[in-house]
Amino acid sequence: MSLPEYILERRFNAPRGLVWKTWTEPELLARWYGPGVETVIHELDVRPGGLWLNEMRFGGGSHYQRVEYTEVIEPEKLVWLHSVSDENWDPASNPMMPDWPRTLLTTVTFTETGGETELRLVWTPHEATDAEIACFAGAIAGLDQGWGKGMEMLAELLVELKA
Amino acid sequence: MEQVGYIRGDASLDAVFAALSDPTRRAILTRLAAGEASVNEIAEPFDMSQPAVSKHLKVLERAGLVMRGADRQRRPARLNAVPMKEAVAWLEEFKSFWSSSFDQLDSLLDELKNTENWEK
Repeated sequence: MSLPEYILERRFNAPRGLVWKTWTEPELLARWYGPGVETVIHELDVRPGGLWLNEMRFGGGSHYQRVEYTEVIEPEKLVWLHSVSDENWDPASNPMMPDWPRTLLTTVTFTETGGETELRLVWTPHEATDAEIACFAGAIAGLDQGWGKGMEMLAELLVELKA
Repeated sequence: MEQVGYIRGDASLDAVFAALSDPTRRAILTRLAAGEASVNEIAEPFDMSQPAVSKHLKVLERAGLVMRGADRQRRPARLNAVPMKEAVAWLEEFKSFWSSSFDQLDSLLDELKNTENWEK
């Protein structure tokens, strides 16, 4: 059985070489990655085995992400392993969501058409437990089919049933 | 991999409500709301055979309302409604994180195109 995938696509009105720069140069990457936060890039080494160590500061707290590149094909493809980490860059589980996949394999492809760049991001759980895969798959199914609302109704119903 | 059965495409609200239409299944969910349980433990108060309980659990599992544990002996069932709602909210946040970042990237690219003499 294939692993669940979550896909985001976006078209940018810029040539691919320029888009590539914004994903691979730290000064540029820090300027767009992370809305409403201060993005601090501690390390960015875009090559297989290289790391992107990213800190996002907000409201007095910090959120750390550890990215390890596994495939780099300039200017068309980046593949990396994305984990939430602690301040020492060791992968950590998400305290809010214990079953969320610890590591997501992230594949970014850049395709140029007529001076524009088509970007496609695909996330899939990496070396995940069954519970992590189920959590991720459930979230995708829920988001795609508007389960958010349905689940709220259901939670209310369950409270009623319990009473 | 029984646990991920609900990604096979039949996870719709219809399936959820069909699963909830049966009083025994609602009672099973109520039992699981108190904590995970094995088929045996679920069957006990209902005066029902294990295969009958398993059948109901399958329907609930297909609707994504129940997950079965990995423990081969017990395969405990647990309620999945609330965690799933949280997971959906989490993914929604993840999606909006990237979408907002992309909005910022849009403006950055515009700026770079205009100000920078960049070459491929």
